[in-house]
Amino acid sequence: MERFPLKAHIPKMATTYQSVYKKGSNTGNGHGGPSGDDDMVNIKTGPQRAADTPTTPTSHGTFQLYEHGTRYSDASATCCDLCPKMMEESNEAGETVPLVGDDVGDAVMFSGLPGEADDIPGIGQYEDFHTIDWQRDIARDRMRHRYIVKKRQDSIWDLIKGAHDAWSGWVCVLLVGVCTGVVAGVIDIGASWMTDLKFGICPQAFWFNREQCCWSNDEITFDRENCSEWLTWPQVFGESRDSTGAYIISYLFYIAWALTFAALSASLVRMFAPYACGSGIPEIKTILSGFIIRGYLGKWTLIIKSVGLILSVSSGLSLGKEGPMVHIASCLGNILSYLFPKYGRNEAKKREILSAAAAAGVSVAFGAPIGGVLFSLEEVSYYFPLKTLWRSFFCALIAAFILRSINPFGNEHLVLFYVEYNKPWKFFELIPFVGLGIIGGCIATIFIKANIYWCRYRKYSKLGQYPVMEVLVVTLVTAIIAYPNPYTRMNTSQLIYLLFNQCGISNTDPICDYQRNYTDLNTIEKAVAGDKVYNAMWLLTLALVLKLVMTVFTFGIKVPCGLFIPSLALGAIPGRIVGIGVEQLANKYPKSWLFSGECSSGDDCITPGLYAMVGAAAVLGGVTRMTVSLVVIMFELTGGVRYIVPLMAAAMASKWVGDALGKQGIYDAHIALNGYPFLDSKDEFQHTSLAADVMQPKRNETLSVITQDSMTVDDVETLLKETEHNGYPVVVSKESQYLVGFVLRRDLNLAIANARRTLEGITGQSVVIFAGPTQPLPPGPPPLMLTRILDLAPITVTDQTPMETVVDMFRKLGLRQTLVTHNGRLLGVITKKDVLRHIKQMDNEDPNSVLFN
Amino acid sequence: MSIKLLILACTILLSFNSVSGSYDDKRCKCVCPRPAAVLNNTISSDRTLYIGNVPPNKCNCDGIILPKVGELIKGREQEFCPRCECIYENRNTTIIQVVVIIVVWVIMLLVAYMGFLICLDPLINKRAKASYQEHTNEDDESTLGGPSQQMGARGNVLNRVTHQQDKWKRQVREQRRNIYDRHTMLN
Repeated sequence: MERFPLKAHIPKMATTYQSVYKKGSNTGNGHGGPSGDDDMVNIKTGPQRAADTPTTPTSHGTFQLYEHGTRYSDASATCCDLCPKMMEESNEAGETVPLVGDDVGDAVMFSGLPGEADDIPGIGQYEDFHTIDWQRDIARDRMRHRYIVKKRQDSIWDLIKGAHDAWSGWVCVLLVGVCTGVVAGVIDIGASWMTDLKFGICPQAFWFNREQCCWSNDEITFDRENCSEWLTWPQVFGESRDSTGAYIISYLFYIAWALTFAALSASLVRMFAPYACGSGIPEIKTILSGFIIRGYLGKWTLIIKSVGLILSVSSGLSLGKEGPMVHIASCLGNILSYLFPKYGRNEAKKREILSAAAAAGVSVAFGAPIGGVLFSLEEVSYYFPLKTLWRSFFCALIAAFILRSINPFGNEHLVLFYVEYNKPWKFFELIPFVGLGIIGGCIATIFIKANIYWCRYRKYSKLGQYPVMEVLVVTLVTAIIAYPNPYTRMNTSQLIYLLFNQCGISNTDPICDYQRNYTDLNTIEKAVAGDKVYNAMWLLTLALVLKLVMTVFTFGIKVPCGLFIPSLALGAIPGRIVGIGVEQLANKYPKSWLFSGECSSGDDCITPGLYAMVGAAAVLGGVTRMTVSLVVIMFELTGGVRYIVPLMAAAMASKWVGDALGKQGIYDAHIALNGYPFLDSKDEFQHTSLAADVMQPKRNETLSVITQDSMTVDDVETLLKETEHNGYPVVVSKESQYLVGFVLRRDLNLAIANARRTLEGITGQSVVIFAGPTQPLPPGPPPLMLTRILDLAPITVTDQTPMETVVDMFRKLGLRQTLVTHNGRLLGVITKKDVLRHIKQMDNEDPNSVLFN
Repeated sequence: MSIKLLILACTILLSFNSVSGSYDDKRCKCVCPRPAAVLNNTISSDRTLYIGNVPPNKCNCDGIILPKVGELIKGREQEFCPRCECIYENRNTTIIQVVVIIVVWVIMLLVAYMGFLICLDPLINKRAKASYQEHTNEDDESTLGGPSQQMGARGNVLNRVTHQQDKWKRQVREQRRNIYDRHTMLN
């Protein structure tokens, strides 16, 4: 559906069809409405005197378009000519008519042309908390593109400019990828160093964490994992390593550092960039669906989110850095898109870059480039054409490459918990895998419900008034409870790595304390679990409960915090437990019918680490309701495609259980909680209301309209003052209510302000002319021509259109508003806000909770 | 500008601070059971660690372990070696050093600036706070050329910086109101 008839403003086009149309214009038949792109040509600015048009041979051919029924049977061109060259000519032709902004060289609505900055400033941008009009922005970009293509033949310089324009999208995503990789590397290294700072320090080189500090020391005794270079805090203060005093000092230092980091993070966020708190994915989703939140993707948000993320991850809170990484990447995408006016000045185009940036964010967070692209496609993006898919692919590739060259973990991989399995899985294992999926779905539902309850409580109660205090309390409680249990004391990424890992010889953790017999090579891996394993199971169960509870309270506090890592841990723990259980069963009853067929060869046929991974995927899938991207991310983590079926089974089971127990994923639930204007394309609208039920104004109210050529500047300004609508329909006259077009409040304000500043003779009494048959100029002050800010092709529906269709139009076309007509006359307006409120109302929710201006 | 300053500071710091020689950038790390556990048939969970600096293709039992404990397990290498795990790792100490120092610097700068904004700024800025009108839209403001731009034109750099800072502060205040007071976002 072509929104703008301004498609074909290329003079070349105009001249090509000139002769054909000239005849048509003289006969005055009109062209029966636009049936193709090429019909819509050459809209001319300003009223030429009626007599001029047919007779004056203009060089560019002005002709009739949009025959408005019988009203204009003898009228001629009513449109505006947007081509700069023609504009000058028409200026010359009709010198008596003062055109709006003679200094303006080009179409106002389609500003964004590099080097033609003297438009009415600000047009084409949006105000804070508004939704964008996708159709309009995309049409603007098409205009700009045509202009550049046309100019390309003029000179070498223009050719270069055209080439630059063509590749700027790729360059932009390249830059985004590079920066994302670098920032992710900084965050990874910084966070791993600072996490270990809670335990001790490397005096010879303070910038090393424990692993790096003991890099070439082979005296590490494995029970303490300590080397002489690395000093724990009790050692710094001269205590011995294993005394009670040392434990207490370590405990206190752990708590003190955790509190320091959390306090720093919370106060930096509060002081410099409050938008940097939280995970950011619900907001990114909303922004990508076409919402404006100014400053959400700004410089300060980027800096504070990165620094605050390092601090809050190191504080030992139950949170992860993956979600914020997506936000950070999107910030980079937004900032870098300003280098390229094509994207920086066009909100719809900018969202293409943001989609690619989100892919890069996941790519570096999980070391999963393809998973990142699919995540962007499945979870965050709203408008995702193939071009964006390729750009996302490229962006994710570059980001992963850069991070890989930084090599933050020293393991040649992009994440700490990269594991490699080599054993095939057995068919009967699908049963425990699906079981894990069900467990995962249940855990996820509990988590979502509890977290949303707590966030709602925080929103409406006094608790919300003490954000920094809340962070400190949560940190304190987490630190106090977490330290005694080694599985919660360690960094959550390390815990996940431990749980995913196979019990090789290098794994000395209690969960790998099998009674191995080293003499017989064949049975080295087939072993009975020792006491320590069962002990570790209890500790892990405790860790699971603690993590679940703490994550519920943590997700939503005012520091940068994501929930991928905690939910992976929440799934990996029961997964590992189930895995060890199955393993021991197989070990104990090798002859049973279940195992005998496939496990008889004598080696260990069950990999508990794989169960941990499947469980992790199940919980993450239940929490976020991702499926495809989740499975791809998980198998990119394992480096093998062999485990896709188990992961798919678990993800699907978890999604089904989750969908059955609760409707929304965590991100959708947070979007609903905050009332963001997000029109979910996954939901179906199932009610039977009609457009007439939803439209504004309701009965007994009048619709604020602007007439096309009879209101004065004062009238318009009064209307703007008295009403708060974001746009006004323009009609032929108040009596007839025949629709002419639609004009936005912002554009109207800017245009009037601009005209008052730059044009002489505009007073309050000047008549504002949007469109209409040309007529002799009335006496008095010169009229104000606002033809160019008028959208001549607003989307309309009739009042009997079912809301299903209307909602679909809003979703698929990305509309901002649609006009409702009855018998061809204007009846009302439906905005996106009305649609969202109507949906909320139909779902028995509070319609006033929609955050919207 | 602060970034340039930061880089300068870091380079100075780096030039003074040469990494001590014991920190190599690559290692081959092998973990084995204690030789005694293998040879004497005892069950034990103790491990030994062998770390050496060899090329990646030499990172195996022959390259790392045998030179160290060859005498002890002579003749029984075939039994011992399969129980060992060797991984080759590399890192870049310079990157780690630079990154950690930058992170510490940035945090310190931010904390210092925060302290400045909390303690000193209210005292300095008591005057002329009302001289700015409330603009909610940055782009309108930057392009409309209202009083702000005129000021920027005649004012010096300091003025412009102050103006930018004020604009930024206003935005942050707005954000704070949305999040901490009205709870309309990011709950």
